[in-house]
Amino acid sequence: MFKRRPLQSKSEIWMRNIVMSILVIYMVIFLIVPVVMVLMGSLHQWNPLNGTYKWIGIENYTRMFSYPTFWQSMFNTVIFCIFVVFFRVILGLGIAYAVNSKMTRFKTFFRTVFYMPTVTPLVAVAYVWKIMYNPQFGLIDKIFGLDINWLYDSAFALPALMLMTVWKDFGYAVILFLSGLLSLPSDCYESASIDGANAWQTFRHITLPLLKPTMLFVVVTSIISYLQAYVPVLVMTKGGPGTSTYLSSYLVFDQAFKQYNFGYASAISLFILVLTAIFTVISFKAAGSKEN
Amino acid sequence: MKKMLTLCLTAAMIFSLAGCSQQNNRETAGITDTQEDKGLDVMGNHVTYDPNHLVNNGNPVSIDWWIWSSEELFQNIADAYEEIHPNVTINLINNPWDGYFTKLPLSLQKGADGPTLFNIHNSYENLLMNYIEPYEIDTQQLIADYPSAASHLKDGKIYYTDYGLSTGMVYYNKRLWEQAKLTDQDIPVTWKEFIEIAEKLTVFDKNGAMTQAGFNYNNQFQAIALGLNYQFGENLFTEDGKVSQTAGKGMTQAVSLLTDLYESYHVGDKDFGTDCEQSFFQEQSAMVFVWGFFVDKLKTNYPDLEYGTFEIPTPDRKTPYAYYRYNGESTPGINKNASSEQKETAQDFMRFFFANDEIQIMLSRDGGLIPAKSALMDSEELRDTPLVRTVGPHIDRYIWPGSMPSTLENNIKIAGEDILYNGKSMEKALKNAAKIIDVDLANADFTASESLYEFYHQ
Repeated sequence: MFKRRPLQSKSEIWMRNIVMSILVIYMVIFLIVPVVMVLMGSLHQWNPLNGTYKWIGIENYTRMFSYPTFWQSMFNTVIFCIFVVFFRVILGLGIAYAVNSKMTRFKTFFRTVFYMPTVTPLVAVAYVWKIMYNPQFGLIDKIFGLDINWLYDSAFALPALMLMTVWKDFGYAVILFLSGLLSLPSDCYESASIDGANAWQTFRHITLPLLKPTMLFVVVTSIISYLQAYVPVLVMTKGGPGTSTYLSSYLVFDQAFKQYNFGYASAISLFILVLTAIFTVISFKAAGSKEN
Repeated sequence: MKKMLTLCLTAAMIFSLAGCSQQNNRETAGITDTQEDKGLDVMGNHVTYDPNHLVNNGNPVSIDWWIWSSEELFQNIADAYEEIHPNVTINLINNPWDGYFTKLPLSLQKGADGPTLFNIHNSYENLLMNYIEPYEIDTQQLIADYPSAASHLKDGKIYYTDYGLSTGMVYYNKRLWEQAKLTDQDIPVTWKEFIEIAEKLTVFDKNGAMTQAGFNYNNQFQAIALGLNYQFGENLFTEDGKVSQTAGKGMTQAVSLLTDLYESYHVGDKDFGTDCEQSFFQEQSAMVFVWGFFVDKLKTNYPDLEYGTFEIPTPDRKTPYAYYRYNGESTPGINKNASSEQKETAQDFMRFFFANDEIQIMLSRDGGLIPAKSALMDSEELRDTPLVRTVGPHIDRYIWPGSMPSTLENNIKIAGEDILYNGKSMEKALKNAAKIIDVDLANADFTASESLYEFYHQ
C-alpha cells in the first residue's frame, strides 16, 4: 500500500531539489562523463594532444592482456597492497592501542607525532626517502652499515617503496583506530574485568570485534588508494629497475602522459576500475556475512 | 565581523584562483613605433633581415613565447628584437620540462589564447605538427644557410628546423687524469685504448670496494647505447624507416660493449652512484659520456671543475660508418591559430632569429652546440667550444636518425636496467624493447631519416 510521506514545506522541497541537482550534475560531470570517455577511448587509438581518435575496437584490450609489463604491474600492485595495508593496519592498531592506554601520558603529543607524516606532502617525503636510499651517501645504508642499492636492486626496490608508504600512511590508521577505540562502550570492558579477562583476552574478544567496522573502513579505503598509487614510483624509481616497480596506476600514467597512448591507458584504467569495484563489493559482502 | 571575515576569505580565494591562470596576465607595453628607418644594417647571408621596417604597422603587439630552460639566453634574444621593434612585447614563459609537452598542445588547442611562439623538441614533433604554421621564408634560402633544414621539409615547407646540433662526447676530469699520471697523449681513440685508460683511472679501497670509477654511465645507458650501434655498421631502423633494429646485431654489440665495461673490465659499477653526472660533479667518476648540454651544467654548477673532452672511441682506428648520432636543437614553432598580428610578428621575429649571427653564436656557445648555420661552422667565437673542438672535424660522420619518439629512449633504458640490474639476458631484454618500440612507432606514424645520411649506402 502507499506509504504516506510526511508533509514538507515548499522551501524544504526547494532546498532538496537544489542539493540533489548539484549532486547529480557533479556526478555526471566528474564521474559518468569521464567513465564513458574512458570506455570510448579504450576502443580507440586516442591522443587528445594531437587530435588522434581512430576506432580500433578491442585492440587496446588484446594488447593489454598480452603485454608482460601489464601483468607485472598487476602483480606488483597486489603485493604492494597486501603488504602496505597489512602493516598499516597492524602498526595503526598497535600504536592506537598503546596511545589509548591509561598508562600513556602526553597523548596529544604522540597523536601529533604519529600523524605528522600523513600531512606531509607525498612528493616531499618521496624525495627525502630517495636520498635516504642512496647507496653512496644515503642514511639507511650508513646507519645500518649496509651496501644495498635500494632503488636499483629489483629485490629491494619494491620493498623500499612499501616501507616508505607504510611510514607515510600509518598515522592515518592510528587516528582512525584511536577514534574507534574512544567510541567503544566502557561497560563491555567493565564486564570483562569483573569476569577476570586478561589484557590479551579483552583485546582479542572485545576490542577487536568491536573495531571491525573501523578496520573494514581502513582496509577498503587503503586498498582503493593503493590501487591508485603512482607518485612514489614516479619520484623514486620511475618504474625501474627495468619494470620491476611498475604499479598499475603508474603504468596508466606512463602510457597516458609519457607515451601519449591515451587509448591504451584508458583500457588499463577501466580494468582497474572494474577490479576495484569487484573487490569493494566482495569486501563489504564478506564483512556483512561475518557479522550475520 | 564574521560576515566580513568570510567575505574577505572568499575574495582571497577567488583572487588566488585567478592568479593560477597564466594566460590572462599578459603584459603589453603599449608603445607605438613610428620610426620605420632605424638606420640599422641588413643582416644575414641567404636569409636576410632588414630591421628598417615596422612590425604590425608600429602598433603595440604582444606575444607569448614558451620555453622550458635557458631563460636568460632566450630573454636576451627577445630583448634584442624588442630593442629594434619597441612596439613588440615578448613575454617569455618558462614551463618546466616535465609536463611541457602535455601542457603545450593543450594550450595550443585554445587557438589565439595559446602561445604564439614555442620551443620544440623534435621527439615530440607528432604532438605539435597540427598546430604549427610554416615559416614564411624561402626554403631554398633557409637550406642554403641551415643545411639540416632540408631534413625538416614537409610538403615543400619548413615548420621548424635546427639552430644547433648536439651530440655526445666523453668528459674527463683533468685532476683525476693527472693523478693517474695521464697526459693529453693518452687520449684514447679506440675502445681498447679507452678501457686501458679507464682501468688506470679506477680506484678500489683495500677491501676491494670501488672508490673512484674510471668510467660511469649510470642513468645514461640509453643515451650511449642509442647511436653506438652505428659503429658496428647497423642502422637504428630498417630501410623503410618504420621498424627499429633495437634487437639487431649492431645494438647487441653496442650493449655488449657497455655491459663488458662494468662486468668484465670493472672500470665502473652499476651500483656506483645512481647518476653519472652527479658522480662526475663530485669527482667520484673520472670519465662520463654525456651530450653537449653538460657543458652548460658544468659551467653553471661547477665552474671550478677542470675537465677536458674527447670524441667517442671507435672499435679500431679506421673511420667508422658513423661515430654516433646527433640531434638538433629546434627553432621555435609559430602557433597557426594565433591572431594575424601575432603571426606577422612571429614570422618577422623568426627571420630575425635566422639571419642574426650574433644570436646564433650565442645559442651555440651557451648551449654547448655546433651551429646549424653553415657560415658559423668556422667562426672564431665557436672554434674553441668543447663540442665544436671535439666533434666538429667529424660531424659529417654523425647520423641524425630522425625525430625519434621518446619510446626509443624509454624502452632502451628499461632494457639496460633489465640487463644490468635484473639479470635478464641481453637478447630477451632487447627483443622486449623492440616489440614495444615497434608498436609505438606504428602508432606515432614515424619514418626514420637515416636514409638522408651522406654515407647511408656505404
